[in-house]
Amino acid sequence: MKTIAIEMLLAFAVAITLASVAAMVCMRDAYQRMHYIAPPASLSAIFITIAIFLQQGLKPESFKAAFIVVTLVCMNAVVTHAAARAFRIAETKNWQPKPGEEVPIKAQDEQVEPERKAA
Amino acid sequence: MNIWQLAAQVMIFALVPLAWTAMRGDARLRLVSFFMAGVVTTLLMMLLTMAFQREVMMDVAITLALMSFGGGIVFSRFFERHLR
Repeated sequence: MKTIAIEMLLAFAVAITLASVAAMVCMRDAYQRMHYIAPPASLSAIFITIAIFLQQGLKPESFKAAFIVVTLVCMNAVVTHAAARAFRIAETKNWQPKPGEEVPIKAQDEQVEPERKAA
Repeated sequence: MNIWQLAAQVMIFALVPLAWTAMRGDARLRLVSFFMAGVVTTLLMMLLTMAFQREVMMDVAITLALMSFGGGIVFSRFFERHLR
């Protein structure tokens, strides 16, 4: 039973990673591609770590794997945000939305207020 | 061959398209491929640790995860300041 669980977890982890890489390659621009780093960094890493815990029990390498999961989950979010911000600044000199630009952050503010001309 | 080796051997193929996209195209696309390759390589090191029963290799995976973070931040800052 434990062996089957380990095999299933590893199969899911590998499948998620391969699917994410394939989807990432198919995406159009860098902003879309960045979304596909998250599934391997979170789900695959968690599945592999659970499989390591099942295989090894409470041993040092299990806790090292858990530390890697925490590192990947936390750092991936930071690096993705930093990269997206850098891309945005490289494109528009400022990462804040331009007047009139569509920014669907919340349902009610789909469009930034256009700049009003001084009278 | 155990299941860990098999998983590692399959996962290593994920690096092929990443290497391809990291070598061509826009700098932003290459940087994203580099980030993804760092994550995949970290997972691969975890699998290889279990496949060959070498505990020391898990330290390499930890180091790689931490260095990927540092490298990602540095590349992003470099991109922001110099690659406009």
